Amino acid sequence: MDWKRLDRARRSVGPHELELVESFAQGRISRRDFLRRGTVIGLSAPLMAAVLAACSNEESQAPGPSGSGTGQQGGTIKIATQTPAATLDPIAMQDLGAYGLLAQSFEFLATLGDNGEIAPGLAESWTSNDTRDVWTFQLRQGVKWHDGTDFTSEDVAATMDRLVEAGNSGLKGVIEKGSVDTSDPNVAVITLTGPNLNFPYLVSVFNAQTPITPVAYETGTTLDGSPNGTGPWKLTSYDAATKATFERNPDWWGGQTPLDGQEVQFFDDLGTMVTAMQGNSIDAIVQFQAIGGEGLLNNPDFVVLDIQAATHRQIWMRCDTGQFADKRVRQALALTFDRDAMVQTLFAGKAEVANDHIIPPFAPFFSDTVPQRTKDDEAARQLLADAGFPNGLKAVLHAAKLQEIPDLAQLIQAGAKAAGFDLELQIEGLDTFYGAQWCPAEPADPPCSGAAELGIVDYGHRPTPDVFLNSAFATNGVWNSSQYSSSEFDAAFKTFQESQDAEDQKTACGELERILNEDVPVGVPYFYHYLSGHSNGVQDIRVSALGQMFIEKASFV
Amino acid sequence: MTRYLARRVALSLVTLFLLATLVFVIVNVLPSDPGRRIAGPFAPQETVDALNERLGANDPLLQQYGRLLKNTVTFDFGDSFKYGKPVKSVLFPALARSAKLVFLALLLTVPISILAGIVAARRRNTLADRLIVTVGLASSSIPEFVSGVTLQFLLGVQLGWLPVLALAPSDAGIGTQFKHLLLPALALVAVYFGYIARITRAGAIQALDADYTRTAVMKGLDNRRVLTRHVMRNALQPTVAVVGTQIGYLFSGLIGLELIFAYPGLGSLIVGAAGDKDYPLLEAGVLLVGIIYMICTLLADLLIAWMNPRARLVGEFA
Repeated sequence: MDWKRLDRARRSVGPHELELVESFAQGRISRRDFLRRGTVIGLSAPLMAAVLAACSNEESQAPGPSGSGTGQQGGTIKIATQTPAATLDPIAMQDLGAYGLLAQSFEFLATLGDNGEIAPGLAESWTSNDTRDVWTFQLRQGVKWHDGTDFTSEDVAATMDRLVEAGNSGLKGVIEKGSVDTSDPNVAVITLTGPNLNFPYLVSVFNAQTPITPVAYETGTTLDGSPNGTGPWKLTSYDAATKATFERNPDWWGGQTPLDGQEVQFFDDLGTMVTAMQGNSIDAIVQFQAIGGEGLLNNPDFVVLDIQAATHRQIWMRCDTGQFADKRVRQALALTFDRDAMVQTLFAGKAEVANDHIIPPFAPFFSDTVPQRTKDDEAARQLLADAGFPNGLKAVLHAAKLQEIPDLAQLIQAGAKAAGFDLELQIEGLDTFYGAQWCPAEPADPPCSGAAELGIVDYGHRPTPDVFLNSAFATNGVWNSSQYSSSEFDAAFKTFQESQDAEDQKTACGELERILNEDVPVGVPYFYHYLSGHSNGVQDIRVSALGQMFIEKASFV
Repeated sequence: MTRYLARRVALSLVTLFLLATLVFVIVNVLPSDPGRRIAGPFAPQETVDALNERLGANDPLLQQYGRLLKNTVTFDFGDSFKYGKPVKSVLFPALARSAKLVFLALLLTVPISILAGIVAARRRNTLADRLIVTVGLASSSIPEFVSGVTLQFLLGVQLGWLPVLALAPSDAGIGTQFKHLLLPALALVAVYFGYIARITRAGAIQALDADYTRTAVMKGLDNRRVLTRHVMRNALQPTVAVVGTQIGYLFSGLIGLELIFAYPGLGSLIVGAAGDKDYPLLEAGVLLVGIIYMICTLLADLLIAWMNPRARLVGEFA
């Protein structure tokens, strides 16, 4: 330990930052957690490097770009992705196909760092006040929109206002319209409705609808309708059925990209994508599944980017009415899940077993204090009998035709039979499922009160659980299809939001995990990995687990 | 010929009117809430109602039907629900892609199949005849998406001779586009070769055995003239009729092949529109395919009428 160096670092930070430095210095958090939390609260890269060096006695380097940087200059990369489901509207988009395209031309206040965490994007740095309810973002200077105009805090304010109006799932209730102070064009000061330690995540690539768009952008404007971002790639053509092409933005603030351009081709079939990669017709795949993607997983010429993600399925059960209102019935159904078999059958092992809450076991704030629920048909039968169903019960399990979900529904149906659940499957198209079963628009108050009794819904990756907790479980949450309402949970969630450091968050998460595992408003059987990759003829590609592939540093080998 | 043409065009217009009516009935039988489709499942009901009002979804059926007929004439179906763009701007690029594939497939299939059919007819019951018939029958019985996958794996992945995707880069010239389309086109050749060759063979056998052919030979015409002027002109009429009707299918029915080669043509677009309940696109797509069918059968009928003047008299005395 280099005490002198550590002391210098200690003296240059405030009390909250000091707490993080001390946690790392005393070995209470890992190097990864230190970097992650440091980035979130706005510690500078040189300071983090100094702390790492002081604690390890090594000449550590600031977290920076990875990759060899020895690739060729020029060329156009061919990327395969899923066909966008709707228009390229940055505010309203809901699918990974659109997320990936938008992230080429538009940028976020916080982007994806080399370590998989957030890193400075359009904001060079950020800090918060002591109560974590005012966040100040120092905007990068010299950034220009593709049409040549300057990027300023006015653009940030207009974007945030549009997001609030649209009811963005991450920002709803966190900020209000007019919350961005734009008195300095190079600084965006955002006042929240309450403390939030994770706010930088909510304006980062991990809240995919929050790229900063020009002040003149109107809600409903699409990327192809007005291709005017700040990012490294300019959209040159877009055909919703076939592909999008981008060329290098020569005026990008990050310098010249090694590649000249990219051609993003749309696919509706995983098998075709795999064949295209095997036939060298594409260079990279934004996302593929383990089942059906064996040809890629076993291909020595293909580099798999395997990311542990919080992507999961929730088997919601109505807590307010019907057969599942008694929590013993919900616990019984959760006891019938053969989680290990699901992980193997549906993901060839590329998933983690979950414990009926939404904190993934690899998350830094995960608390391992709640025992893992395992399959136990006998206990499930007993719980059903205790709840007044000695002869079992009949119910309809609703599910959407999406990825592995119909197969999951079958596994649940088969696994629950022995315990006395007679489940009838109703597999529906996405429109019908979301609009009629999961969260029907009517009745609107409380949201989702028209939801079916039992169903399976999909949730994408989020690095922090704020959106899941706020939308699916908080009383009157916008996606609360189980109509769960618990004052104990709401209080624990508030504590989590108001946590001042990583240790507090972990403690709060332990409580949230316990409550959700006990009440089981939803069953959560697994978190599955996000799989992406590229041929070994290209290098320095990074991906988020939300369909965004970042290739500004990529090059052909 | 002019009267025949006028009669056929008039008949096509009546068919188009019936088709438009049928499309209207089908779309109105399906559950439809365009406002909800556009605004999404979470939009407030007021927004949905306003959208439905703006789109005319609440108008009386007769008014909606009149609008569809007008749209059919102008081919202006408004914006696609899914793409948020004019239907034409989505439909026509897909039509162009399908047309390229169909054109190449026909360019390869028709001459080879006709030649094989004539050879088989002239060498009836020889090894060549049996080979053409047997190979043709076998290849036609394999669906195009199966032969497509096989060709893709063998010629694309294993040997690396041809691109495995049918869509060429944006700046590709004709040569590159041809190369990209060759694999799916070959899959279609495999299916249609046997079919067209057998029909040609049957027609050619009939023509070769006909009195007019015997007379032509006996009056001393050389083989080439007999074949081109007398045999083929009569033998190819069923072939022309079959190819004419198959073109419509080729434009809209190759969904499996389009999926395998990531080549979104008209078929995939219409299926997608049906799945997405994108009614403007669905209506326009179905009508466009109907128009293609009509144009192709009309052209086939005109070609047959040119080859055989008696065909023009059909119905003349009815």
